[in-house]
Amino acid sequence: MSDSANATTERTESGESDATGGPQIGAVAGKDDAVLRVDDLQKSFGGLTATDHATFEVERGTITGLIGPNGAGKSTIFNLISGFYEPDGGTVTVNGTDVTGMEPYEVAEHGLVRTFQTPRKLEGMTVREAMLVGPRNQPGESFLNLFTSPGTVGDSESANLADAERILADFEIDHLATQPATDISGGQMKLVELARAMLAEPEVLLLDEPVAGVNPTLAKKLKTQIRRLNERGTTFVLIEHDMEFVMDLADPIVVLDQGSVLTEGTPEAVRSDDRVIDAYLGGGA
Amino acid sequence: MSFLTDPRGTLGDLTRPEAWVLGVSVAFLLLLFVALLAGALGPTYFLFLVGLAGMYALLSFGLNSQWGFTGLINFSVAAFFGVGAYGAALMTADSSPIAGGFNPLVGLIVGLSVAFVLAVLIGIPTLRLRADYLAIASLGLAEVVRLVVLNERWLTNGSAGLRGIPSFFAGWPVLSTFPQAMPGLRLEVVPGSPIFLEAPFWRASLNVLLVLGFAGATYFVLRRAHRSPWGRVLRTIRSDEDLARALGKNTYSFKMQSFVLGSLIMALAGVFYTHLNLYVGPGDLDPITTFYVWVAVILGGSGSNRGALFGGIVIVTIREGTRFLNDFAVPIDPAPLRLLLIGILIVVVMRYRPQGILPPQRELIWPSAVDGSGTPDRPASGVRERKRSDDLENRSENAENRSDDRDGNGPNGGDDDE
Repeated sequence: MSDSANATTERTESGESDATGGPQIGAVAGKDDAVLRVDDLQKSFGGLTATDHATFEVERGTITGLIGPNGAGKSTIFNLISGFYEPDGGTVTVNGTDVTGMEPYEVAEHGLVRTFQTPRKLEGMTVREAMLVGPRNQPGESFLNLFTSPGTVGDSESANLADAERILADFEIDHLATQPATDISGGQMKLVELARAMLAEPEVLLLDEPVAGVNPTLAKKLKTQIRRLNERGTTFVLIEHDMEFVMDLADPIVVLDQGSVLTEGTPEAVRSDDRVIDAYLGGGA
Repeated sequence: MSFLTDPRGTLGDLTRPEAWVLGVSVAFLLLLFVALLAGALGPTYFLFLVGLAGMYALLSFGLNSQWGFTGLINFSVAAFFGVGAYGAALMTADSSPIAGGFNPLVGLIVGLSVAFVLAVLIGIPTLRLRADYLAIASLGLAEVVRLVVLNERWLTNGSAGLRGIPSFFAGWPVLSTFPQAMPGLRLEVVPGSPIFLEAPFWRASLNVLLVLGFAGATYFVLRRAHRSPWGRVLRTIRSDEDLARALGKNTYSFKMQSFVLGSLIMALAGVFYTHLNLYVGPGDLDPITTFYVWVAVILGGSGSNRGALFGGIVIVTIREGTRFLNDFAVPIDPAPLRLLLIGILIVVVMRYRPQGILPPQRELIWPSAVDGSGTPDRPASGVRERKRSDDLENRSENAENRSDDRDGNGPNGGDDDE
């Protein structure tokens, strides 16, 4: 584990000792450097409570795992944080700004970007074209600029293209650059999705099951990339059912059960928590 | 590489459908040329048909920028076309009950302005919703506009329509008198079949120039837009709107821009039609126009500007060409069957070539970014259709990749392991 990862663990462990003292997990006075705050978040669909007063914080520079059994409300929380769902109550704060109820594009403008559980296919685009959707606020996204400032558009496009090629090379998938984006394998799509999200230069990146359906080789590659990007300063929050993957990568881990936060802490602490074993493993493990 | 600098290379680079379309187009043009020389096709009528084809190409461009680029389902093509046509006619026609006598440029501005306002008004409540809501709203709009035109006689003359519309160049220096100033010509290439080129011919020539100008400018704008980051966001919205939103794109704004742009192009086609036909009536707003334009876009290839152009020309060819089949020994009257023919055509295309005849072929990246030095070369193929053998090869390669994925062997082999 890298030095920064060790430092993260130390910070989290000190936070955990506060958190495990009572039921208000995460509702601490506030971590000094929280980049994402979820406070008392609630969401119901008809009679079904999907998110039940969920509260937790994500410290800058960490990789936070969000785990829980099926139906625990993990994806709902992602949708609430990223603006795809409007919460019934509670707040979401990104970088100190209350983004509750904002549109997803507005949340992204505050530095929080997400990926999806199922990789999104972009029909009729090559991989590098699909990558070029990533950068935010491109001059060429203004219709008028196409005719009034074509030089600026060209310069920006060249720079973005160079960035895209560099990131594809970093991810060791530059050989796919001119392949149709729909013709690559599922695992490669996950890598492209992560690489594209990085072009948006997020401060916080939410990854929804990044290795679901991905072979072990590509999963290793994804893990390496996530760790490398985290060391460069990107904060990650990830939902993952692959316990080995999440326990190895994430620290701290937030456990959800029935829409609320059951506990949070280091992988070791979570692994040995009886409530987690009961909720997640059905008490049999 | 362009056709002028490397004609052999350009032709050799054509895919099979491109070569087929090129071949058929050349043969068709030759046929028309022979028919013109032989006097079987009047030159003035021929130019009228060219104008009509240009108008349909414009309408197809408009729908393509909405549906082809962004995935917006607009069933009110005829409404926006009619708004442009009536806007121009009401400002310029002698019989206009509210205005009339204005310069056609005023009519152009009014037609486009009304279309702009209408598009924004329809877009505001529907573009935040799912695509099918826009489809329903636009279907309603088409009928509302048609019924208003038909029933509000104080405004539109009702079913009588508007007559006495001047040519687009009326009042312009030189061009307004150009048809009369040109000398009448008589050509006789085939003995006994003289061709007369008189004032109507020269007037029709101006119309063709006008529609070429409109269609050329529109093509230029759309081509540039399609290859830009702006166009890329639209294509992302079409494929997956949630992804675009997650990446920080204000999809509502982009959809509105796309919808308004397409509606303005449709209205432009209406303005041109007014000055081509010199009469507009409620019949011009019939839903069949919308149907024809949808067929043109799907036939040509959704998202492809040249496909829209091709589709527009094919539709006019079928629509007008069937009139001439009676001159041959055809056992049935084919003209009333043209809708059936178009229906069969679209079924065949959907069955054997669902992506259309000329779908978008190349990677769409801003040209200076891929052609400039220091940036990666533009790929020769990209999303371009491959020749059959390449296609099969790639498919088997990708199938292998997927199988590797399942087996736990990455496509890059074990060397990529940490």
